[in-house]
Amino acid sequence: MARIQSKGVSQRLQELLEGLERGLEEGLIPAGIFNDPELFELEASRIFSRSWVYLAHVSEISSPGDYVLRYILNNAFIVVRSEDGKIRAFLDMCRHRGMRVCRAEMGNASHFRCPFHGWTYRNDGSLVGVPAEREAFGEGFRKEDWGLLPIPRLEEWDGLVFGNLDPEASSLEEWLGEIRWYLELVTKRSPMGLEVLGPPQRFVVNTDWKLALETFISDSYHTLMTHRSMIELGIAPKDAKYAMYGEQIHIPGKGHGTMVVGAPPGAKLPPFWGYPEEMMERARTSYPTRQQWEVARETRIFLVTLFPNFSLHNPIRKPDPQYPVPVPMLTFRVWHPLGPGRIEIVSWGMVERDAPEWFKEKARLSYLRFFGSSGTFEQDDTEIWSHVAQNAASTLGRKVRLNYQMGRNLKPDPNWPGPGVAYPINFTDENLRNFYRKYLDMIQG
Amino acid sequence: MDVIREVLDFLHREAALLDEGRYREWLSLLTEDVVYRIPVRLTRERPPQGGYGGIAEGMLHMDEDRASLEMRVARLETGFAWAEDPPSRLRHFVTNVRVGEPVRGDRGEEVEVRSYLLLFRSRWDRPDFTFLSAERQDLLRRENGGWKLARRLVILDHSTLPTHNLSFFL
Repeated sequence: MARIQSKGVSQRLQELLEGLERGLEEGLIPAGIFNDPELFELEASRIFSRSWVYLAHVSEISSPGDYVLRYILNNAFIVVRSEDGKIRAFLDMCRHRGMRVCRAEMGNASHFRCPFHGWTYRNDGSLVGVPAEREAFGEGFRKEDWGLLPIPRLEEWDGLVFGNLDPEASSLEEWLGEIRWYLELVTKRSPMGLEVLGPPQRFVVNTDWKLALETFISDSYHTLMTHRSMIELGIAPKDAKYAMYGEQIHIPGKGHGTMVVGAPPGAKLPPFWGYPEEMMERARTSYPTRQQWEVARETRIFLVTLFPNFSLHNPIRKPDPQYPVPVPMLTFRVWHPLGPGRIEIVSWGMVERDAPEWFKEKARLSYLRFFGSSGTFEQDDTEIWSHVAQNAASTLGRKVRLNYQMGRNLKPDPNWPGPGVAYPINFTDENLRNFYRKYLDMIQG
Repeated sequence: MDVIREVLDFLHREAALLDEGRYREWLSLLTEDVVYRIPVRLTRERPPQGGYGGIAEGMLHMDEDRASLEMRVARLETGFAWAEDPPSRLRHFVTNVRVGEPVRGDRGEEVEVRSYLLLFRSRWDRPDFTFLSAERQDLLRRENGGWKLARRLVILDHSTLPTHNLSFFL
């Protein structure tokens, strides 16, 4: 912890982080990390300014000129497909006097014109128009020096576009590492890949980004109580421990984690998430390896979380209790940090591009009913996350050490066919302990 | 009673049922083929022809039919719907009501109604609260003498929702 001390961190924050480091391996985490203004500043500079953060899916900007407005921390970026087909991202800030040049959350534009003084940029970022250029700036003015500022790093992997504020960051592929094998279970389910169902739902929650992330990276255990209403309704499986029957896998050193859940014993659930036969057949040959196909075939609930704040969730669900067969849904989301104890959830519905139209419609309805702003699962998550964050800011509560000891005595599963470290039962906090090792590593240096 | 008075009575009664958590009675005000939708609203350029801009294509906050609305109500009755247990204190303020000309169609007498909605929400013991603002574009149909809601489109005045979930009805 000496490195933290040397960088002018307060005594109070130092104690908090020492508490996290000391307790982590025995599964004790001080609640104070979930709502602390000073820690938030440190997370902003040491984690979110140096990590690959999800910005967009390529299907959101499929044609030249298509753009979406996205954020890393409080920085607004225009993520745009330029006329040459290349995806670029620029800080949405006029180089002249700092005005936002993008006037919509999404759209199609060949140029972005600043409403302040009229400087105009092509969608490749280059400055092409300066009103009264000669009279105002004279002969020596070089427009090529005044293009929109590109995001320090922008990379795409299999349709997923990420940005990084650190120009020295290692590549996205390196950052993702072996979690790619699991991401591919979704991105390569069809040779055509995925598409967004529409723009994201956006809503704010008074909580910490890590609390939201915990649920999606590891906490299968909450389903039996938080989502009890959905079990009572017969929408979640009858067996309240349904989320336990699977493997929890983490990628050491990367912070990423995944949960691969099968059918509860005795439950009659169709294979391969319940995707239609034709999609299952396509996947069989679309997956890069036979092992991926074999794992996917037995999967019913699937989550992947990337350090620091991207999750995908892909469960089998019935769009309504009367519907004869289950229909899986897929959501991508970013747990966007707004400030201490406050996040914005940016939540997309996703589907395979070449899925049959009837299926796309059912998958859309499954998503809307169960996840996102009105989702009958997610509603209860956000309610609970906000109260944990409230306690985490209290004078006594912030010192309380919370229990992250579930599954401490589990041994890794030697027979798991995929990469990473797999545990044979999903009721474990192993992915969280791995996440916080990476978190500490970044926050200390 | 004239149609305008009937429609006002309907909207006010509906608001009271929603505010008092009498959801089963609220369901009885909906037709069997009810369509209830809240599209995502986005910041977009001003549409040249006027009207509301930025109503997202393809994505909504809610896209409900009778079965899914019943599912949401049944969920609230389980005793485990933490988002609304304890319930939010809600107040639906319905104003600026514009009632169209009733039309007799295949399914009976129908009337288009537009109204503004300001929805107050307060939870727990904190003094802060949230407002949601919207226009409701409704289609009411006369069934067995009384009006029922056959279609509702809620045009939100928010891009990013200022509240942590939509665990209630607008």
